[in-house]
Amino acid sequence: MRIDATHRKWLIASLIILGVSTFVYIAYAASSPAGPSGGSATGLTFGIVGFAFMIFAGLLAGRKKVAIWRLGRAQAWLRGHLWLGLLSLPMIFFHAGFQFGGVLTRVLMILLITVVASGLFGAALQHFMPRVMTSEVPMETIFEQIDHVRDQLVAEADALVDGVCGATQTEQVALSGGGAVALATPAPAAVLPLRDFYTRQLRPFLLHDHRRHQTLAARADSARLFEGLRTVLPSDAHDATRKLEEICEEERQLRRQVRMHHWLHGWLLLHVPLSLALLLLGCVHAIMALRY
Amino acid sequence: MKTKGAVKRFLGKLSSRLTQRQNDVRDDETGQHWIHIDAPMDLSYENPVATLKAGDLFGEMTCMSLYPRSATVRAESDCTVLELLRNVLDIMQRNKNFRAQLDRSYRQRALDSHLRAVPIFAGLTDEFIEGLREKVELLRFSPGQVICRQGDHADSFYLVRIGFVKVSQTHLGGDMVLAYLSRGDYFGETGLLKGDVRTATCSALDHVEVVRISAPDFAEMNQQFPEVRHQLELVERERTQMNRERLTALSSTPLDSFLKQGLMEAQSLLLLDLDSCTRCDACVRACADAHDGVTRLVREGLRFDHYLVATSCRQCLDPLCMVGCPVGSIRRRNSLEVIIEDWCIGCGLCADNCPYGNINMHPFDVFADVPGSPGKKKAMVKQKATSCDLCSEFAEPSCVYACPHDAAHRVNPRQFFAGLLQQSADKSPKD
Repeated sequence: MRIDATHRKWLIASLIILGVSTFVYIAYAASSPAGPSGGSATGLTFGIVGFAFMIFAGLLAGRKKVAIWRLGRAQAWLRGHLWLGLLSLPMIFFHAGFQFGGVLTRVLMILLITVVASGLFGAALQHFMPRVMTSEVPMETIFEQIDHVRDQLVAEADALVDGVCGATQTEQVALSGGGAVALATPAPAAVLPLRDFYTRQLRPFLLHDHRRHQTLAARADSARLFEGLRTVLPSDAHDATRKLEEICEEERQLRRQVRMHHWLHGWLLLHVPLSLALLLLGCVHAIMALRY
Repeated sequence: MKTKGAVKRFLGKLSSRLTQRQNDVRDDETGQHWIHIDAPMDLSYENPVATLKAGDLFGEMTCMSLYPRSATVRAESDCTVLELLRNVLDIMQRNKNFRAQLDRSYRQRALDSHLRAVPIFAGLTDEFIEGLREKVELLRFSPGQVICRQGDHADSFYLVRIGFVKVSQTHLGGDMVLAYLSRGDYFGETGLLKGDVRTATCSALDHVEVVRISAPDFAEMNQQFPEVRHQLELVERERTQMNRERLTALSSTPLDSFLKQGLMEAQSLLLLDLDSCTRCDACVRACADAHDGVTRLVREGLRFDHYLVATSCRQCLDPLCMVGCPVGSIRRRNSLEVIIEDWCIGCGLCADNCPYGNINMHPFDVFADVPGSPGKKKAMVKQKATSCDLCSEFAEPSCVYACPHDAAHRVNPRQFFAGLLQQSADKSPKD
């Protein structure tokens, strides 16, 4: 989600809540001879509010599961998730009086900080990355379709090369002592460099073969290679070469898309399980604190 | 051959009691349960313009042009009408006489209603419009056909009745798209007012109908009504100035791409703001959830500016998908959304006709009657066409509602991109 002027109301409301809470906390800390404590009425209130914010933030996952239920627009939920989730951090600090406490509370604090930090990191990624992706991957496709598109690119490239060099057919030649051996039909000598380049470099690149040296992954190196290839090929092979270069560019863009997609969504692998753990341990902490 | 019974049965199929169509009662129909054929009816288009009597046909304009309804028909007293779905009308048009009669009535009504609805003619007297109606021509053009060419002698003034017209100028560097015109707009005044040749080429972008006023009639109108001439001169000056600016800025590319992608045709376009979209596919999942697990949108398509024009029904003004449906199951509801009714037979014609690939065929499990065994049903798979219905049961389409990043928008592209295209946002043209 882009953090823009449409977030102004949430920002103002959050700043007001933070300001009021800070004022209350300072007054409360100053008036407590033994220092602030999570067990006091004020400390408990901060804890309840902070935990309520966390629960609301956690409910976003549930909201996404029932996307078409008319429970408020998903973007309003995400805004609430962002701002209230962020506010939960100072609330819990006020609740704990900036102390980390025992083992459970220490774990909770570390979890909370990690969750908020990963959330901020994710929000920043989702603010900037879509724009970068839009400009750098004009041939973007649906992520789940990438393998299928790659197969199509390989098939298209095979057809192009076969069109210029002739299909790699094998013919059975009978041996004098009985038996047979398969011999490949040779391509015309003038276009051999194309077949060679395709077999050694382009095809492995399109097949995503990481074992080979991938010069084609860099646009400048790739352009240089294709330029060199054109100088040794007859002019009637230039059109196919240009199309192969386009295929190569598309593959590079697909790779870039995969990388960016992983950045855009990978942070959730940390954020979501830790959030779940935080909520569960938070419940344990609340029950233990209220009971004992 | 027993024709009497067959005719009765055929007419019986045509007659419709509105109270029986409970799952598709249009907003306008809720107050009226019976319309008798022997009573006059009032056809209103902001103000009443026609009264229909027993035996009259109405509603044929939208069936023939496929554009949304232009008028609301209200029963003034109890009426009974025979309702013909579009496919039945198509079959009836195979009869030469019927087709000629329908065409005549269509032309007469189209001219009448259009001449009265064009804002620049507001100052004309009824007598003049009556006279003009007899002289003007209603012309139809196919997509791509040239209506008038740059450099030709200016001999007519045109009013766009239906469709979109591309205005372009040829320069040394190639063609420059200056503007597109839609219903209610007009062109050809520049050459006539200056007594010169055409300054631009105007061609049809889709199925276009224009009202052609010849140069002598145009001159007579301007002579009799100086305020109309004054208004036309103002518009002509504005257009010349705008064209000059556009030429200086060389900014026809977005407009060209807008027209090439057919975006002007859309009444409601699903756009994904790629600068906000995190490609989370929440929109696609919501669409599938709202439609029995079958999504009606694919998050892929052409880009326009920083928006992705998602593969989802655009609710075209001139919906090619509706042409030729043998059972009339694809039709408009409330003039905006094009819907596919339950009685779709899965022939796939609409999917083939949609130029944007926005209709898909899907297999559905159904319980169907067993032939020869009345009352018995068996499970079978039936193909059905599916397309975005704008989630009409909700206030907002599910894809837009479920987008957490405020990236999905359903918009009228002519209004949404008006600033980018330097065109004035039109008021959703309707036939």
